[in-house]
Amino acid sequence: MTDVLPIPAKPLRARVDVRSSRRPWPLLKGRRIGLHVAALALLLAVLFPFLWMVQMAFRPADDVLGDALLFRPTLENFASLWQGTFPRSFVNSLLVSTLSTATSLALGVPAAYVLSRWCFRARGRVSLWILATRMAPPIAFTIPFFLAYRWVGLQDTVIGLALIYMTFNISIVIWFMQTFFAAIPKALEEAAWIDGCGVWQAFWRVTLPLAAPGLAATAVFCFIFSWNDFFFALILTRTNAITAPVAITNFLQYEGWEWGKIAAGGTLVMLPVLVFTLLVRKYLVRGLTAGGLK
Amino acid sequence: MASVTIRDLRKSYGGTAVIHGVSIDIAEGEFVTLVGPSGCGKSTLLRMIAGLEEVGGGEIRIGGCVVNDVAPKDRDIAMVFQNYALYPHKTVAQNMGFALTLKGVDKREIAARVARAAEVLGLTGLLDRYPRQLSGGQRQRVAMGRAIVRDPQVFLFDEPLSNLDAKLRVQMRAEIKELHQRLRTTSIYVTHDQIEAMTMADRIVVMRDGRVEQAGAPLDLYDRPANRFVAGFIGSPAMNFLKGRIAVNGTASFVTEGGIRLPLAKAPPASDGRPAVYGLRPEHFAIDPDGGIAVQVAVVEPTGSETQVVATLAGQEVVGVFRERLSAKPGEFLPLRPNPAAAHLFDAEDGRRLL
Repeated sequence: MTDVLPIPAKPLRARVDVRSSRRPWPLLKGRRIGLHVAALALLLAVLFPFLWMVQMAFRPADDVLGDALLFRPTLENFASLWQGTFPRSFVNSLLVSTLSTATSLALGVPAAYVLSRWCFRARGRVSLWILATRMAPPIAFTIPFFLAYRWVGLQDTVIGLALIYMTFNISIVIWFMQTFFAAIPKALEEAAWIDGCGVWQAFWRVTLPLAAPGLAATAVFCFIFSWNDFFFALILTRTNAITAPVAITNFLQYEGWEWGKIAAGGTLVMLPVLVFTLLVRKYLVRGLTAGGLK
Repeated sequence: MASVTIRDLRKSYGGTAVIHGVSIDIAEGEFVTLVGPSGCGKSTLLRMIAGLEEVGGGEIRIGGCVVNDVAPKDRDIAMVFQNYALYPHKTVAQNMGFALTLKGVDKREIAARVARAAEVLGLTGLLDRYPRQLSGGQRQRVAMGRAIVRDPQVFLFDEPLSNLDAKLRVQMRAEIKELHQRLRTTSIYVTHDQIEAMTMADRIVVMRDGRVEQAGAPLDLYDRPANRFVAGFIGSPAMNFLKGRIAVNGTASFVTEGGIRLPLAKAPPASDGRPAVYGLRPEHFAIDPDGGIAVQVAVVEPTGSETQVVATLAGQEVVGVFRERLSAKPGEFLPLRPNPAAAHLFDAEDGRRLL
């Protein structure tokens, strides 16, 4: 017994010694401060062009490229934007993005639901072909779209542009939402069927509310994609349906580059993206399904 | 409430048949349990009754009407799922009242019926909570509440207690039974736990590999199992089986492979020398120092109320359960006397009951 007892006692004491000699807190604290400084430096580097553009938007016209940190902020760049055609382009951008997001969700969400729930022979292939529409570079579609739109009269229209974005967004919606629907247990729908729902009602009243965070994130993603597009808007619009990103390039003229307006326009274009990204953060919070099943 | 009649029901997935022509008659107000090992098709059968699985062949009638092609929502059934399947985005009250909301029942009526069900199930204080804020037992009760609020023709239970701990399971078992006695709604209850089946059911249907092995009252199944599978499945600890031959030499007896002679009350006609399996439940051994067969004790398991002994009889393992407390130690010999009146005989080949 006597030579057995010290064996468990030794490592116990050793462990206590290690803990007291290491003093983990100050070390950890130092490490964390280092990490925070590094993160802050990275953040500043990433945000620098953006912050630079924003400060430019508020600088007076004669000092727009100045590098003094202290200046008298002015709204004159925004005011001159407001007097031109920019507000109309901004509204066009809003309309095109909202319309394309709404239509791609209206068509893509039920399609995603069917692909995630119904077993049919070509399911895998259908999914793959839908994704394949996103694989080709946009430029491959430019000439066909341009010619077709000129022929049907959709060139330079908000609806025409929204349709194009819809065709691109729909595959994203289907692929995103398929994953979100797959995460919702089928037993919940079965319970709804037994409770008196038809297939559509169960989808509308049980599945869709549970997929709401995913739906919101997908919607924001579609909106931002349509909002940010420059290429198709440049090719397929002239005057009526011109969107904000294209409108900004109109400030780059032979007579000179209107830096103040470019910066103010850029700031305004970035605003919805910023707001929606913050919204995604809010809606991406998981755990809504917690507790429904064991 | 309604009767449920199942006739020659079949189901296959791809080329694999999982239900092979099952027929069951369930009377109005009856509590029937479908029991069997995993993969025996009991849950598939229940889901077919619910309308969640397509019928491959045969017929299901609820209240006399064929429902093969009727949507689940039109079958007037309620189901309690193994994982509860509560709607996470709805409160307890909304979960329980959902079916009534869909039917367009007046809001005050829904609230009254939900309150009544909540009172029965002890959920009154939890009606505004969400499922994630409830314990396992409370969720189970909400799932039950969702079923009883509707006052359906048939209740279907798909292993509803398998996610609860042992103590809560026993408590809920009693509550479900009490609820059935109060409501008298026709109930079909799927479980793999034969104790649950025995204690709750008016009638048990034992299934294996998509076929009904035997259907009957719990004690009938216990006392007169139709075959070796049912005999081994019903009862805990399981029945002892000893291989050997029937010997009729003036008196009937059974001779085990090790040459031990076990008494029989009677033997099937013209069965002398026939290979068979002798079945005896653990509680049908008695300790008899005068005429007992000496078995070697391997393990003694006292539970307080009884003592379970695992022993070796002529090279084959047997289990005995005794009300008395035994001082037997592993390795010792214990004189056991089987009760001949309680012995079962099964065919050595196909396992069907001979006696």
